[in-house]
Amino acid sequence: MKLGWLILAVAVGGSSVALAGCRGEGSTAGCPSAEPAGPPVDEALMAFLSAARALHHEADVRQSANDTAGAIASLERLVALPAPTAVEVDEVIADARARLAELRLGQGDVDGADRDVHAGLQRVKGPTYFRGHLLEVEGLLEEARAGALADAGKSEEATRARAKAVDLLEEAVKVQERVIDRALADGGKDGDR
Amino acid sequence: MTRTPSGARRASIGPFVLGLAVLLCSCGGAQQSQAPAPTTPNAPAFSDEAPAASAAPTGGVHAAPGQPPLSPRPPPPPPPSPADQPTVRGAARIAAGAELDRAQRDLELAASDCESACRALASMERATSHLCSLAEEPDDQRRCDDARHRLTAARGRVRAACGGCR
Repeated sequence: MKLGWLILAVAVGGSSVALAGCRGEGSTAGCPSAEPAGPPVDEALMAFLSAARALHHEADVRQSANDTAGAIASLERLVALPAPTAVEVDEVIADARARLAELRLGQGDVDGADRDVHAGLQRVKGPTYFRGHLLEVEGLLEEARAGALADAGKSEEATRARAKAVDLLEEAVKVQERVIDRALADGGKDGDR
Repeated sequence: MTRTPSGARRASIGPFVLGLAVLLCSCGGAQQSQAPAPTTPNAPAFSDEAPAASAAPTGGVHAAPGQPPLSPRPPPPPPPSPADQPTVRGAARIAAGAELDRAQRDLELAASDCESACRALASMERATSHLCSLAEEPDDQRRCDDARHRLTAARGRVRAACGGCR
């Protein structure tokens, strides 16, 4: 659902806020077909977004069938898709990385989750929802790591991991707070980013 | 989480859209001498007379004491000839239609803002919950309290602007 929102937002012309209206079921206002005077939509970008959306759906189906490994495979295909250089692509991949990390964390693959989070954070630098979500997931990851280390009797390392988790979660809170402030203050210019 | 469709921001724009729709529907039957009032500061003026009349009084009887009498109000422009009327009505319809489209876009943008805010709020709630579950030291507890304070404030802002999240 998050991806669909993004994709349709891009279709409206690059502004994810303006495009969000296109995502809404039953409304074509703001969609490319409803705005012939709008800027042309990049074909490669649209192809990427369409493929990404399909792979998220595939992951949904597999996840709902308790096929976590299959869902991970779908998302791995997504992040490996050839893609043009675009902010929208970065956000879609960051979002997929966050989802991958959560799935891997659920499987106990903390290191794999860590790789996904860091790859995602490379894609989104500013105070955006996507960055905040990745920081949140990284905080959960460090929380899980702290638990595993404590269970292994490595109390000092566990304490460090727990402190890192607190730092990351606090940062996530602050980033999302800024996202909310901006979304409600700027009339949607950057609201979803 | 998604925005509430009947959020305050949407609600605040709804009457505006409705008003424009009514205006659009009624333009065709309006008399030329009854210039519709602009609906927003940016709305195109359909009559050159209306803003001037409201901006400054005209006519010698309304001149301030000690001031020279103002020049008499110029005669109103002649009504458009019957051949011009369809053109004027058409222009009014186009302008009102454009305004309606603009209001529709504003409405959609407001909905998008709320969806973004709700999504970020959900992430904020999860992060705060985990942060506070990890708080053991006094400093951690202080950070937990700070996060909760920020969360409460953000929740209030989202509720005020969007009517809450689903």
